Amino acid sequence: MEKIKTPTGDTVYSKRLPNGLSCFVFPRKQFLRTYGMLSTNYGSIDLRFGVSGGDCVDVPAGIAHFLEHKLFEEEGGSVFSRYAEWGASVNAFTSYTQTSYLFSTTENWEDCLRLLIEFVNSPHLTDENVEKEKGIIIQELQMYADYPSHRIHSLLLENLYSEHPVRLDIGGTAESVQRTTVADLMRCYNTFYQPGNMALAVVGDVDPAQTLQMIEDNYPVWEQSTGPIERFDPPEPRQVKAARVEEELPVSRPRYLLGFKHEPVWQGEDLLRQQIVMSLGMRLIAGRSSASYERLYAEDLITDSFSAYFSADPRFAYSAMGSETRDPDALHHALSGIINELKTARVSSGDVERLKRQFYGAHLASYDSFEYTANRLISNYFRGIPSDSFLEVLQSVTADEVQAALAEHLDWERSTTVVIRPVNDHEQE
Amino acid sequence: MKFTQCELSEGVRLHLCETDKFTSLTCKIFIQQDLKEKEATGTALLPLLLRRGSRTFPSTLHIARESEELYAAEFGSDILKVGERQILELYFQMVDPKLLPQGEKLLERGLRSFWQIFTEPFGPGDRFHEPYFSQEKRTLEQDLKGLVNDKRSYALARFTALMCEDEPFGIYKYGDLESLEHLDNRFVYEHYQNLLQRHPLDVFIVGSNLDQAADLFASLIPSSGRSVTLQKPMRVQVEGERVFEESLDVNQTVLVMGYRTNCTYLDDDYYALLVGNGVLGGFPHSKLFMNVRERASLAYSVGSSIEGSKGLLTIVAGISDDSREQAVEIINEQVNAIKGGRISPEELEQTKRGLISAMTGINDNPAGIIDRNVIGMVEGELRSVDQVVEAISRVEYDDCVRAMQGIELDTTYLLRPGQKEGANYGED
Repeated sequence: MEKIKTPTGDTVYSKRLPNGLSCFVFPRKQFLRTYGMLSTNYGSIDLRFGVSGGDCVDVPAGIAHFLEHKLFEEEGGSVFSRYAEWGASVNAFTSYTQTSYLFSTTENWEDCLRLLIEFVNSPHLTDENVEKEKGIIIQELQMYADYPSHRIHSLLLENLYSEHPVRLDIGGTAESVQRTTVADLMRCYNTFYQPGNMALAVVGDVDPAQTLQMIEDNYPVWEQSTGPIERFDPPEPRQVKAARVEEELPVSRPRYLLGFKHEPVWQGEDLLRQQIVMSLGMRLIAGRSSASYERLYAEDLITDSFSAYFSADPRFAYSAMGSETRDPDALHHALSGIINELKTARVSSGDVERLKRQFYGAHLASYDSFEYTANRLISNYFRGIPSDSFLEVLQSVTADEVQAALAEHLDWERSTTVVIRPVNDHEQE
Repeated sequence: MKFTQCELSEGVRLHLCETDKFTSLTCKIFIQQDLKEKEATGTALLPLLLRRGSRTFPSTLHIARESEELYAAEFGSDILKVGERQILELYFQMVDPKLLPQGEKLLERGLRSFWQIFTEPFGPGDRFHEPYFSQEKRTLEQDLKGLVNDKRSYALARFTALMCEDEPFGIYKYGDLESLEHLDNRFVYEHYQNLLQRHPLDVFIVGSNLDQAADLFASLIPSSGRSVTLQKPMRVQVEGERVFEESLDVNQTVLVMGYRTNCTYLDDDYYALLVGNGVLGGFPHSKLFMNVRERASLAYSVGSSIEGSKGLLTIVAGISDDSREQAVEIINEQVNAIKGGRISPEELEQTKRGLISAMTGINDNPAGIIDRNVIGMVEGELRSVDQVVEAISRVEYDDCVRAMQGIELDTTYLLRPGQKEGANYGED
């Protein structure tokens, strides 16, 4: 059992079980809810893979998310009702790189945890129930298709990337969902749900040693563990697929999103450092305390929705920034000026130090969110990021480093601009 | 997690929840008024105006930098609608100073800045700074027009406006485009001064060492004789079911069904109604989820919720357009099943447990601890978590069926794919 001190003065206990599962327990005194999250290091971008020298297989887009839906099915019932017996809630989500199952409860947390382990480890897939799920998933895709913020993000990734599966929607398409089979689903399950590829976090007023023991006693040993998983990403050209795309949607105003593709070269603590450095840079570009925010707002080139973020994983990395706007072209012009100035002029160390305070406070406050804390423990682990080094790394970042990172990574040759315009623009005015 | 209350002056109440459980101190101030067409849009403009600048922090940049200096302190504001009240919410959250370097002085600075930002808006003294006023009118106009970007919210807003057309509840909490066009700077400023000085004001704080914060608020809030008395929601008899359909260029149809519950927060059957709603559509084990989604595969999202002050039960489902008749039929079957007493002991027990767990779990979330009191504040009867848990556990099968027999379908609304038709968004 290893201990990690948190900046709030608490301790996270971790252990890797003999079957390969990594466990984290974060005791929080006085809290009434207990929260459990079981995740696999497997997401929507894992579309081509092989196991220890075996054949390489391709599976339909959206399959990780499809599998997430199906694991809730049990013989003769649904997992939801069993959690409901304890008044607990259960949910799941799939990202590009991770699938997570979680419960939250104020009673019977041990039962809830045992059931979490049990249902994720006992798939019940039949031709019939897989067929039935397709209708539900397609309605989910339709729902997201009606969200302009979702649509513009999808368009950005589709056009930044030519080959990498991060360009595809996490849920896939109606077509890829339709052609998904039980055999495909089971192949993914058997590969990615082995304990060595998974992690479990429990947050709440629990005893760490007993909780770890309980997990160990209940977690199945996989007899046919297949060994190391090999994941294959298609070679991604340096250039973006398209430098500019436009689409019409039934929205009230135009939307603008600018993205930069980066080389995914960071691992472990380097990745954490890059996340902090680039996120500070994103604040300099789009934060409310930035010199240009007020001017752009007054000119109606941005709204509250103006934001910029950096997203990085060992397999892909990009930055994105944008807003609803009166005039996408004018915003593009203004934003280009801001970015070019930050890339060449000296970044103020006063600004960076003030933003570091902001990050410091936000990091401390985040410990009150169990879901956020559990997810951070697990996703950091999957990416090899040390859990206890955030504040230390933050303190050591300098203004020069932020400036150098912006100058290097915001490469116009590797950028894509997406504009969404209202359908029948003239009628809206 | 209990609040202790004290009345600072007429109409000003301070609610303190002393705890060292959280890493943050959270404070919310609520100022209540009746929902009125004449004032709703002006009130809705206030959160937008107040974030632009104050006497000490004259621009967004100054406010944002103060927030960063204070280690991510949040200064926020929004509009709530509970029953037929429109509520201005002012929000402050800051990391517990004992976790911060040189934290002792920071809390007082944070609270003073909070109060200052929200009560002394930047401007000449009798109105808001004119450029801010015109820019924020534009922002609100865009927000009202932008409602159409979120189809579900848009459908719900249209549904509410149609179902409660002749009631204050039909007024959208962020107002309407026509009133906005005619809104005058001085009128909004005077309206805000009136809210600050004459309307009921409640301060809720959750955190540790609250004495300092309590003393500070006692000295800051004017004791100006808050004599305004507020109205209770209008009661309406259902006179036959109404159906509205509108179209928009969307992929998915949003179906909304609205019922009058004839039972509200102060009624004996209120918690029985909450349990009944839970059996119907509050959880993944509920009848709507099990039948519309799991059995018929018609929807990804389907559920129901209660508005406890006005007395409404609303069902929302996102479905494919060609299955709309089937969806309505299945939903009707589920409502009738409950009215006919077809609730299994498991359904009842699971629902009660689910509600109790959600209620107890609120104690882990500082903003939630405060927010759950808003309906009690509006209805004039605050209830503790323990009281609510007790009331839910006492609900029996008969109570639940009786409460649900009281609900009456008033309005069915469909937002369907097609060319845009029907009334314009944000209007009427």
